[in-house]
Amino acid sequence: MDAFSLDNPHHLLASIWFAIIGLFLIFYVILDGFDLGMGILSLAAPNEQYRGAMMSSIGSIWDANETWLVIVGGTLFGAFPLVYGTVLHGLYIPITLMLLGFIMRGVSFEFYALSSRKKLWGIAFGLGSLLAVIAQGFALGGLLNGIKIENGLFTGDVFDWFSPFSLMVVLGVIAGYSVMGANYMILKFTGELQKHAYARSKIFSGWMLFFAGIVTIWTPLQYPSILERWFTLPNFFAFALLPLAALFCFYMLFRALARCEERAPFIWSLLIFMFSFIGLAASLFPYIVPGAITIDQAAAPTNTLVFMLLGIGMLIPVMIAYNIYQYSVFSGKINPDAPSHHD
Amino acid sequence: MDMLQNPEFLSRLQFAFLAMFHILWPPLTVGLAIIILGLEATWLKTKNIFYYHQTRFWIRIFMINFGVGVISGIPMEFSFGTNWGPFSIASGDFFGNILGFETAMAFMLEAGFLGIMLFGWNRVSGRMHLFATSMVVLGSTLSVFWIMVANSWMQTPAGVEYVNGKFIINDYLAAVFNPDLGHAFWHMFIACIELSLVVVAGVSAYYLLKQREIDFFLPAFKLAVLALVIITPLQILIGDSAGGALAHTQPAKLAAIEAHWETNPPGEGAAWAVLAIPDAAKQRNLWEWTIPDALSLIVTHSFTGTVVGLRDFKPEDQPPIWIPFYAFRIMLAAGVFMALMALWTAWLLWRNKTRMSHENISQNKWLLRGWILAIPAAYLAVEMGWMVREIGRQPWIVYGMMRTQHGVSELPLATVQWSLLSFFVFYLAIGIAAFYFMRHVLRQGPAYEAAPKYIKNKNRPMSPMNDGGY
Repeated sequence: MDAFSLDNPHHLLASIWFAIIGLFLIFYVILDGFDLGMGILSLAAPNEQYRGAMMSSIGSIWDANETWLVIVGGTLFGAFPLVYGTVLHGLYIPITLMLLGFIMRGVSFEFYALSSRKKLWGIAFGLGSLLAVIAQGFALGGLLNGIKIENGLFTGDVFDWFSPFSLMVVLGVIAGYSVMGANYMILKFTGELQKHAYARSKIFSGWMLFFAGIVTIWTPLQYPSILERWFTLPNFFAFALLPLAALFCFYMLFRALARCEERAPFIWSLLIFMFSFIGLAASLFPYIVPGAITIDQAAAPTNTLVFMLLGIGMLIPVMIAYNIYQYSVFSGKINPDAPSHHD
Repeated sequence: MDMLQNPEFLSRLQFAFLAMFHILWPPLTVGLAIIILGLEATWLKTKNIFYYHQTRFWIRIFMINFGVGVISGIPMEFSFGTNWGPFSIASGDFFGNILGFETAMAFMLEAGFLGIMLFGWNRVSGRMHLFATSMVVLGSTLSVFWIMVANSWMQTPAGVEYVNGKFIINDYLAAVFNPDLGHAFWHMFIACIELSLVVVAGVSAYYLLKQREIDFFLPAFKLAVLALVIITPLQILIGDSAGGALAHTQPAKLAAIEAHWETNPPGEGAAWAVLAIPDAAKQRNLWEWTIPDALSLIVTHSFTGTVVGLRDFKPEDQPPIWIPFYAFRIMLAAGVFMALMALWTAWLLWRNKTRMSHENISQNKWLLRGWILAIPAAYLAVEMGWMVREIGRQPWIVYGMMRTQHGVSELPLATVQWSLLSFFVFYLAIGIAAFYFMRHVLRQGPAYEAAPKYIKNKNRPMSPMNDGGY
């Protein structure tokens, strides 16, 4: 069976699902990326009123943002059960830490609004966000490190995800999410808080560029197959485009920050995430767990993939539409210096 | 304790703990959303501000509850991958697919309109807001449906073959509409409505008892009780029907629930043990208090109907007995208590209908205390029901096909101990905090917000929280 042949319906469906889950994951990374990033930045918020403004600016959307990850989980479970049952098993500790981080920040949103001890819940929100981001970095780093699988079961160690490489990924993810968070704040706020966000964005953009560079060079070095794919002609020209496009976006990001533009920084950082993500997906494909499982091996049988496509595929534009609607309802600038009406 | 040194048992304990904590929240979300939708629609139709204030008050309770429900649900989804990897791999083609449906059809729908429902009062029109609320209702109801599809399939797996450690789907619709789905969905969905009505009645009773906000809570109390007069007996009937179905679909579970060891011979009825001291090692009850023929009557609706006993199953195929037996009785008692409260109150209301006023209902302190007590009873019934259902399914993860021990991820003992302890500490803290903030909201009482004016310009420099009115 030729895994690359497109007249193989199972391979075609598996590829479609790889793309759909990739799409959901990129929605998640961008949308929850900025609210997790703002959570990290809230740890160093200039004052309690600003922290309150930062938290309430995402009060109406964080749940929908996080739900994209729930969808990634559900669709991955159905379309690639082998990946779900081995990768999550292998990443037990980072996944658990991520969930604990989500729990902490999720409840803090509500309790912050109700409580008179704002600082306590504000810090819990920030720490929970940071914990979730660190855990996601280790999960991604651990996945790129490779998940040891034999006979369709995880056979590695529970600490396999921990390595110098994954530490670099963690730092890159922290910096990247913080940039997204800061750029969202630039978009959303006015006055002092917006100035504060410009300063933060400049610092973290530098760090993001640094760590993204390290990870981009280090990843192919870990896998001869990826290295080979990148550096054979004519593939090289296609693959070289992605880092070049990302570098261009970094240049535009720094320029937009220097010019104090309001929307452009968010869009450029969003594009950086997209290009990095597409680069990663293109390097991995047709593997879904690098070096271990291809999408064809992991994919559920054709009938499941079709059934899921009928049930979920048609909903994708609907889900996107009502998410955009909800964002549009809560669009508009927030003045963080306006008196708060929390009781 | 030997069992706490066993990673498989700890994974089970962890999932049980996650599930037992999680199920405290969604029933109120599901049921209260429906009640809120009704109140909001009535407000838009009548323009009576009373209904708007009611809507806003219950939304505040809803909000605390919803958030904890969401964040405690996510760990359950991921647990299938982390702790139950082999089960996920074996069953993902169906089970994972269904969870995927749930996330895309239900969770996202809820989340996509929740922000508008909670914070959008001054940003969208009245009709649009009502639409958002109804999408939250639809989303949460669909999530009950899909999760009960997944769960009922584990109870009565249909439409699949178990070949070489993997479930192969032959018939999708048979798997979705498996034999247990009808009972499972309706019993859970009605439980959500019953629990929510009991919360409305109990919270209202609390205010009536304190002589606070009587004009606000007396109508809510009466309405909730009248609905419960229909809902509580209905739930008992559905439960009875579900029990009867178990005799065909999961006879070992039924026998464990009733501590029924020996199949009754033809022509003789099986006795129902009201209370018993079951002993799995001796395969009998050490002591029991029984009602002759009653078990046959309950299960088969005939005095001599055959009810299969536990001894017809090999010991390794028998579920644990103590928890299903007693959890079932507690659930039943709680259900009957709520039904009796509803009937008693309805009778008082009917008897006093001509002079029905807050004096004579507020003076009946025991009635009001009874309703406050009904709140924990409702939660207890839900918890006990799930324990009966899931522990009674053992030793199978997919009933009769795949054993629980074959579905668990191999993990080091210390890792599972750590995660279990972490979840325990986090959930304990959240549970206490949520309780505290619920009490805070109850102490504040209704806020009597000004009705929205439907300002078209949504780009006002305000934060979304400010529109929330608190």
